[in-house]
Amino acid sequence: MNQDHFYAWLRNIYETRESEISCTECFDLSSRFVELETSGQNAVAELPQVKHHFDQCRACREEYETLRDLVTLENQDNAPSLDDLSQLIE
Amino acid sequence: MSNTRTNEQWLDDLGASGAVQEAAITDLRNILLRTVLFFFSRNLGDFGGLARAEILHLAEDCAQEALIAIMNHLSDFRGDSMFTTWAYKFAINIALTTSRRERSQGISLDHLGFFDDGALSRWVMPDESPRLAPDQSTMQAEVREIIREVIEHDLTDKQRHILIMMVFNEVPMDELVRQLGTNRNAIYKLLHDARRKLKYGLQARGFEVAEMLALFSAQR
Repeated sequence: MNQDHFYAWLRNIYETRESEISCTECFDLSSRFVELETSGQNAVAELPQVKHHFDQCRACREEYETLRDLVTLENQDNAPSLDDLSQLIE
Repeated sequence: MSNTRTNEQWLDDLGASGAVQEAAITDLRNILLRTVLFFFSRNLGDFGGLARAEILHLAEDCAQEALIAIMNHLSDFRGDSMFTTWAYKFAINIALTTSRRERSQGISLDHLGFFDDGALSRWVMPDESPRLAPDQSTMQAEVREIIREVIEHDLTDKQRHILIMMVFNEVPMDELVRQLGTNRNAIYKLLHDARRKLKYGLQARGFEVAEMLALFSAQR
């Protein structure tokens, strides 16, 4: 474990709460979180427990980041098409 | 591809029968396939040994699996987002699980070090990085030793094994889920309990995590 990884892990320990939502609960709320965020609203203030889960859970965070990026591209009318993406696979 | 239905239209069309339902399912499946490929295209390194046709085939399977999951969970949709955003996350979830499985293909728990606590012992070894002054290196070694003590004495065997696998050996959560035949919630609960014990175990030994963070932050 390198220094940055260790520091991030210490921060996770520090920010541990008595009660945290599960991955399933986070999954249920993630689409709402992303739409709040991508429409410029304060997603963290409305759903702090979801942001906390993303900070603690790498798998859920990776899914959230993908969803956020896809929705952002769509909002910009710039999302890749099915054909574009098929071409990217090599 | 029709992506212009309202939430109500999606629910009505998917719940209909005949040609209306078929058209909605075809549209949704294309949307899901595009979402899976969006994820795959950002994680191509996970598919090192696969040919393009095999990756595209996997994507088709993921889209189909996501479609089935969505049809089984239609009644769970609360309408607090666009239907498509809600649907994307099923595809992304299945794409990530598939992608990480491909990355770990053929690697057993033994290879991943599940029964080997050596990673912890190696980690405790002093950091002799030239960017650290000798006193910093000594302080870090002391902190590491205390953390090792808490991990070894305060955690259950299961909590310790999961922690070492995920934090020290960086094994993806979904790979552990697959190999141990469990689910994300169970793994997350074990890690959460381990973090709580570490937080309080360190405090009980006179170390505040906030002080540790400040110490390591100053040395970054």
